[in-house]
Amino acid sequence: MTTELASNQENPKDPNKGYIAIIGWSLKAIDAIDRFDRRYIVVAPDWAEPYAKEHGIPFLKWNFDRLNERSYELAQTLQEMGVDVAIPLFEEVVEWAGAINAVLLDNPRLLNQSMLFRDKSLMKRRAQLGGIRVGIFEEARERSDVIHFLKRVNQALMKLDGDPNDPIHLKAFDMAGCLGHRVVHTPDDVENIPDDEFPCLMESHLDGFEFACEAFIWNRKIQFLNISEYVTLGYSVFVPASPEMEKWRPQVEDEINKLIETFNIDFGFIHPEYFVTSDGKMHFGEVAYRPPGFNVFELMERTYGFNAYHGLVLMFDPKSTAEEVEAFFPREVVDATGYAGCFGVYPRRRVVSELQIPEETENHEYFEFHELSAPAEAKVPKRTAFGTHWGLAYFFGDNAERMRELLNRQEELDYYV
Amino acid sequence: MALNSDYTPDTSGMEHRHKLEGLLDAAIERLERARHFAKASHQTAALDITRRLGAQPGGVEAIYARIGRLDTAGIFHGGDWEHPKSLQPGLAANTLWQGDKITATLEYLNELRFLAVANGDLIRDDLTDEQARHFLSQVLALNLNILFEGSSEAERAQESVLGTSVRTLYEFLAERIGLEGILDELIAEIWRILAQRPIQVDSVKAMISQIAACIYSETAELSGKSIGNAGMGADRLISALFGPTQGCREDPGLDAYYERLSTMDANALAQEASGFARAMHDTGLVSPYHPVFLRFIAQDNMDLMPHALGLSSTGQDALNCYRDLVKNLVLEAIYPETSQAAYGLALLLERGILFMPPIAPGFWHFISIPLAPSVEELVSSVYGTARPAQVFLLAGLLNVIGQPFGVGQGNNPTCQAARALSMWAQDEPAYLMQTVVWAARDDEVVVHFEGQAISSQNVQALPPHLPPRDVDPVSLIVVPHLDRIYCEMGRLCADRPGDPHQWINREFHGWWVGRGCRLAVDVPTGKLFDYEGFVRDFVAIYHPTYNRNRPLIHPQPAGIAVTDVRGRFVGWHAITITRVTLDLEHVMRVYFFNPNNDSGQNWGHDTVVSTQGNGEQYGEASLPLEQFASRLYLFHFDPQDQWTPQAVSSELVDEITRRARESWAEHR
Repeated sequence: MTTELASNQENPKDPNKGYIAIIGWSLKAIDAIDRFDRRYIVVAPDWAEPYAKEHGIPFLKWNFDRLNERSYELAQTLQEMGVDVAIPLFEEVVEWAGAINAVLLDNPRLLNQSMLFRDKSLMKRRAQLGGIRVGIFEEARERSDVIHFLKRVNQALMKLDGDPNDPIHLKAFDMAGCLGHRVVHTPDDVENIPDDEFPCLMESHLDGFEFACEAFIWNRKIQFLNISEYVTLGYSVFVPASPEMEKWRPQVEDEINKLIETFNIDFGFIHPEYFVTSDGKMHFGEVAYRPPGFNVFELMERTYGFNAYHGLVLMFDPKSTAEEVEAFFPREVVDATGYAGCFGVYPRRRVVSELQIPEETENHEYFEFHELSAPAEAKVPKRTAFGTHWGLAYFFGDNAERMRELLNRQEELDYYV
Repeated sequence: MALNSDYTPDTSGMEHRHKLEGLLDAAIERLERARHFAKASHQTAALDITRRLGAQPGGVEAIYARIGRLDTAGIFHGGDWEHPKSLQPGLAANTLWQGDKITATLEYLNELRFLAVANGDLIRDDLTDEQARHFLSQVLALNLNILFEGSSEAERAQESVLGTSVRTLYEFLAERIGLEGILDELIAEIWRILAQRPIQVDSVKAMISQIAACIYSETAELSGKSIGNAGMGADRLISALFGPTQGCREDPGLDAYYERLSTMDANALAQEASGFARAMHDTGLVSPYHPVFLRFIAQDNMDLMPHALGLSSTGQDALNCYRDLVKNLVLEAIYPETSQAAYGLALLLERGILFMPPIAPGFWHFISIPLAPSVEELVSSVYGTARPAQVFLLAGLLNVIGQPFGVGQGNNPTCQAARALSMWAQDEPAYLMQTVVWAARDDEVVVHFEGQAISSQNVQALPPHLPPRDVDPVSLIVVPHLDRIYCEMGRLCADRPGDPHQWINREFHGWWVGRGCRLAVDVPTGKLFDYEGFVRDFVAIYHPTYNRNRPLIHPQPAGIAVTDVRGRFVGWHAITITRVTLDLEHVMRVYFFNPNNDSGQNWGHDTVVSTQGNGEQYGEASLPLEQFASRLYLFHFDPQDQWTPQAVSSELVDEITRRARESWAEHR
């Protein structure tokens, strides 16, 4: 176990502010936080150690295989170092951060809270208990549970034999975002589910649209609320949301305040997903206590100009002041300089040999740049679940409708040929 | 030269460029902000935007205006481009053509960076304007056809992922570097390199081809682009490659030439023979026509062989004694693809070493050895499959033994192994041949270290770099073995005090390496240690005036502290001292072999290594003794010899010490 404090001259750390432990390894996050005024240390698995050492990143080696009695040892080590709070970067370490913070902040409730965030089934029940509207859901231990649920849901919808089924959604209990998310239409689809995806959560399908938001919470209050508009789930998103979607903002704020109450959230950052059905009702999907995927932080920075990782640190740090928080965030929507969107690229062909940005995309005035790399293998693995895109293309422009059309259009184009 | 003469301004294009410039500025800002460990995650975006901007009219200027910021922001951070000095013009040109979008764009930026340094728009510690200009001259030389050939090159431009941006880039570079000087400089540069008679001349040949293409290109004349006064020796280079004799003057093609040979009378053939020989010895380059001729006369006109190889009486004697062997070597090894082997064979005969008992049987043996499949695969992967691997290897062996000082390490940190090959080729060719046999046939070399056998296939210490590929066939297959054995010897010496080379050199190179070893520095601290004693010993042992005129009998390995043009320390380097003697101007010089590909280096404070004109043999480098000694840090000697260090003049010692202290030893 090695520790080492950064003494970066460019960005001096303020000893009066908190000392932050980053749980998980993300270069983007570390890069941003290194440029902030808080002292920090990264807690990550041993494979990251040589890189951290080589680049003088303050580092503590830890293996996060299983939460056990050693989590207390980690918390104590951090406490002895003077660390004030732990921030999880990924779904898999949320309960670790909870366990650590329970010790550092002397609040055992934080561990239980983090457990709720980690288990999608528990999370839904808790939300339901708090009076939050959720869809029909059940837990599946094996394939027969899935078939049973599919049949029951469609029976309830009074479908006749031969009518196409309404699909159901399967989500792994403890995976982030789109990972482990699959859609089941027929009993045949069930055969394709690998064993290791059980147990999982099953939900009924709701017709309507889905969106996610990012809420920075401090002092049990929303300090900044971003609504991300999903153009197509798993493919594309832009911020801020379109004016039509932003009409929902008051309801969204109400719903998030319910989450704050139900899950007892004093501080931090949440990333909930909602579903709006055709009858105009909001249904709670799930909530994560960590930064969102799909580079939404980058999009927020592009349009609002503030670094969301810095905002994250601000929310967690118990030594943040009200003035500081007040001064940090811009005004929602009005201060946005445009719509920042990104598109996750998946190869559409079975065999690809090179990366070629479609000409119409490259010449589009909204297109900014991409982070795609050349294909490493010619054969494209068959896509079974959501997630695992090959990289992102970024767009920016001043019209939400054009942005939506543009992002939609990308799904019809070949980036890999 | 008008840039994009076909471009007529249209405002939408301008707007697009302005937008891309804005995006690039934003990307540069993100890159600047990023910590050094996170640079990589912002490079792709910046490169993508650069590539698109480069394709816009006026794009290259816009990028050039930002090259300094891009460089300092870290666009080259963490890759091969981080150390511009180690970049090779040949590879650079290739990357631009064959790299993927990312690497090709990096190379695009890199060439603009060199331009900025050459023009004084960007100052870098590790690259002088002269070096940058030098690099760009060579890059441009390798791409002259782009600039001088019109539409026919449009096809080639399509091959690069950057499309026409490459052409625009080269036009931009040419406009600012100036083409007139380039050809002259380039031709002088080629002659300077050829004066060292390297074995590897592929890139030289590629450059000459380019020069030829542009001199004879009609479009060049039509377009009125000036190529300067390219007469200076260009003809000789071009004709040596493409038409050295009467029979192939107009470059008729190899098949046509072969047909022509059968219709020539004795007189014409004799003229052909001497024409080839003259061109070969003039330049060190062998035209692909030359092997066609040699193979033709090897059949039933061996009497012409001495003339076709340009042999003196020594070479003729050797050829006459070993006629059958020479005939077989020609037929087995010398093809248009291996034309340089003709030069190797000629020099080998001139050295008279066929008279050493093991050499001739060694070659007979080598002609028939089976190659290990892995060796065959390696040779074919680098030299192609136009001929069997055996042919390339035998040809390579002729070159190495014929031109011991032509061995080069390529772009690899393998100076020790390259030095050993050269030293054996010079002093113990039979041992070299046997080593090549082991490597070629068994894919294993065994060397003994203080009685303990070290097999290259079974070492614990592995070299920290990839095996070389840009080297001659013999180095290609032998160096990886030697490199591992060298590293293993280093491992075995790891716990001994002092520099491990005092034990390694003798065991690694041969019995003739002096058992005594003198070091200028104290290894643990790197500080000078008894430097005056070191200098006195070196002079007393090596300087003929002080050592009772004893010549250096066997080449001796030595260690040099290499310095750059400003005299700053660059690194430790292995060389071979070959002779210490007076030159024609009565200056006492040390002659040495530097396994680096180009020995003509400027080590700063007027210490400019000479490669020709001061009595050097082909491939030798030399310096006046006091300049050489001032960069020396390790040498070997025979402790049995008598020497008197106190006899060395204090003036000489002071002079050497001053030069050392002004350069690499400044803070030691």
